[in-house]
Amino acid sequence: MSSAYLLIPLGLVLMAVATAVLFWAVNSGQFDDLEEAGRSILESDDTPRADPDAALDRD
Amino acid sequence: MSSSTQTCDRGAHVQWTGEDGRARTVFAVEGMRCAGCARSIERAIGALDGIERVQVNVATARVAVDWCADRARLADIVRAVEHAGFRPLPLAGEQADRAFRLERRTAIKRIGLAGLGMMQVMMFVYGLYAADPNGIDPQMAQYLRVVSMLVATPVLLYSGVPFFAGAWQNLKRRTLGMDVPVAAAIALAYGASVFNTLRGAGEVYFDSVTMFIFFLLTGRFVEMTVRQRSLSGSEALARSVPATALRVRPDGSTERVPVSALASGDRISIPRGSVVPVDCELLEGEALVDESLVTGEAKPVLRRAGDRLLGGSVNVGHPVRALARADVAGSTIASLVSLLERGRAERPRLASAADRAAARFVFAILLLSAAVATGWSIVDPSRAFEATLAVLVVTCPCALSLATPAVLAAATSRLTRMGLLVTNGDAIERLARVTTVMIDKTGTLTTGAVRITHTDTFGNLTPQRARAIAAALERDSSHPLAAAFSGFAQPDVVATATREFPGQGVEGCVDGKTWRLGRAEFVLAGLRADVAGSAAGALDAVAQNAVVLGDSHGIEACFVVAEDVRSDARAAIERLRAAGLEVVIASGDGRATVSRTAAALGIDEAHGRLTPERKVELLRERQRMGRRVLMIGDGINDGPVLAAADVSCAMGEGSAVAQAAADLLLLNPSLSAIAEGAATARRALGVMRQNLTWALVYNVCAVPLAALGFVPPWVAAIGMSVSSLVVVLNAGRVARPPHARKVAARSSVPLSPREATA
Repeated sequence: MSSAYLLIPLGLVLMAVATAVLFWAVNSGQFDDLEEAGRSILESDDTPRADPDAALDRD
Repeated sequence: MSSSTQTCDRGAHVQWTGEDGRARTVFAVEGMRCAGCARSIERAIGALDGIERVQVNVATARVAVDWCADRARLADIVRAVEHAGFRPLPLAGEQADRAFRLERRTAIKRIGLAGLGMMQVMMFVYGLYAADPNGIDPQMAQYLRVVSMLVATPVLLYSGVPFFAGAWQNLKRRTLGMDVPVAAAIALAYGASVFNTLRGAGEVYFDSVTMFIFFLLTGRFVEMTVRQRSLSGSEALARSVPATALRVRPDGSTERVPVSALASGDRISIPRGSVVPVDCELLEGEALVDESLVTGEAKPVLRRAGDRLLGGSVNVGHPVRALARADVAGSTIASLVSLLERGRAERPRLASAADRAAARFVFAILLLSAAVATGWSIVDPSRAFEATLAVLVVTCPCALSLATPAVLAAATSRLTRMGLLVTNGDAIERLARVTTVMIDKTGTLTTGAVRITHTDTFGNLTPQRARAIAAALERDSSHPLAAAFSGFAQPDVVATATREFPGQGVEGCVDGKTWRLGRAEFVLAGLRADVAGSAAGALDAVAQNAVVLGDSHGIEACFVVAEDVRSDARAAIERLRAAGLEVVIASGDGRATVSRTAAALGIDEAHGRLTPERKVELLRERQRMGRRVLMIGDGINDGPVLAAADVSCAMGEGSAVAQAAADLLLLNPSLSAIAEGAATARRALGVMRQNLTWALVYNVCAVPLAALGFVPPWVAAIGMSVSSLVVVLNAGRVARPPHARKVAARSSVPLSPREATA
């Protein structure tokens, strides 16, 4: 039974760690857009980064 | 009404200002949760001088104020809202986005802490529940109570804040919202638990407290998501305008300028894949544009030189150059956004009725709790506390105060995505009850493109000359007929003093003679009396529905015109009829054309040659028969009919439709959005009914059980939370298309492994 006196505070510490991790994740924007991350892989990333005028000339 | 925009330093937004100094402002408000909040904002602003009307919409957190610009200042309005305990927020764009994000982040953190705490506390309290009262070591029991309190306290202090803040707001203004019983229950349960913990004996309810907070927060989070998603419709519209644009200098090179610097007449360059910044005219070649953001039309549209490009559409074809026809504030998209905001800001009748009912409901709960507390303290004082707590916790006014506005918001967002803008708060309710759809044929069932299939001449005019005169007369007209003639215009034939007679035709001077073009009656009316009789006889031989050209001496030519039926119109009409709606055509076009179109579409009742007055009469007849009529018109010629209908829907393109005074604006050129819109509105009403039925059944079952002491607080917490989640999730269902799952399943079936790799 005495193990409870050790394990429960340990559990509380873990809960505090979990809460801290969650707060960090939320504050750093991990939960801001849950759909975009999954969709972004499907989108091509070869949009011309240079001056759009260059794209105009090329076409 | 001139539309002007100005931004005040606190970020509120003047939507438009009239010439008489009257202004209308719409802004968002943070911290509004219930009808009580809405009323206190209304009171706070209404107390100011120079305020004409205040409307607050809880579901969308919008406030709309009509005020006199010379008697009040925007800063005073903003201050009044702040004084009432709320934070006014700017509407569109970046800042609103940031406010949304912050709200969402805080909500997730609160739910996360409450969830983690709930799991811990439940495990600790399990020891207390599971142990035989005599078996557990008193020291261990006390240890578990203290540890539970240690975990529950931060949950209460951080995650429970919204309920206490909401209840405090309510009490301060002497109104009753649903936060009042919630906060009372949490405070009572927590207080009693702390008392028992310090005393070292008795029950603790830390598990119920954390669970209640967690579940309620989850329900609120879902509701917030529905609300934010429904707002994203107009925000997406507003945001679809890019920040910068490429302006073409006189020497042909381009420069990047802020969109706000563009003026009408500027030449702009639109690269492939970029967004058209303002309404403009395509200068040369062809452009393939995706207008889905503005009109909901999914397929890219081909535009030719001289055609108009809508601001907010995406150039998916070659890079093009265009001539700006308006600045940002004057572009179609800006007027659409402000119309949408106007619709959002109005509080729908249904929602305010639900709000009032919720306030009465909360009052009844508080009375009942007091009665239960008194009753039990006479019968069995030891159980009085638990029973009272259970009554407070178990009752659920969510179906009224959260779910009804959420359903309306979800339906609005769904309609917006289909290209059907709701500009009137009550339109959804009325759309759901519609029994008759009345359609003005021109431009709604047909492509609007008119072709001249045949030309007959009677005098000494050649067909070419007749068509050239007609083209000159119709040159400045916006009637669909004008486009049919425009191809026949000749530079040497010019009409002067042209005058348009709505629904009849045009009159004008060509080569010193006065010509009339239009319906047979109209042209006959312009004849000299001595030739009118013989001309009418001659005309009878020709098709009655033809377009006639004549001068004062007689009928000179007769054009047979045909319109193409829209490819999707038939399917849309069938869907409307399948939904039990009566479809009627009430058109100003020729009888033969109308009946031909009606036959092609399978419509039984079709009236042609109706004047605007006659259309109104026909509509009133239907209404006297107890029908509720949805009138679909092009919004320009149909003003009176649209106003007389139960629900009006203007259909058309560009800024003209945005100016129409209709409850709904159909931006999508396809009529099937109407069929789907009516179905969505009906579903919304159905979901609302389901929610109210569920709430009624749940409360009628749960409250007596709780009052009689059969429900322990933790069961009450689960019951209330589940009930609230059910109604909120049910509300969110409206925002999704009904067949989404079926389509997904179908599209995943036919791909065999070989096909997938091929």
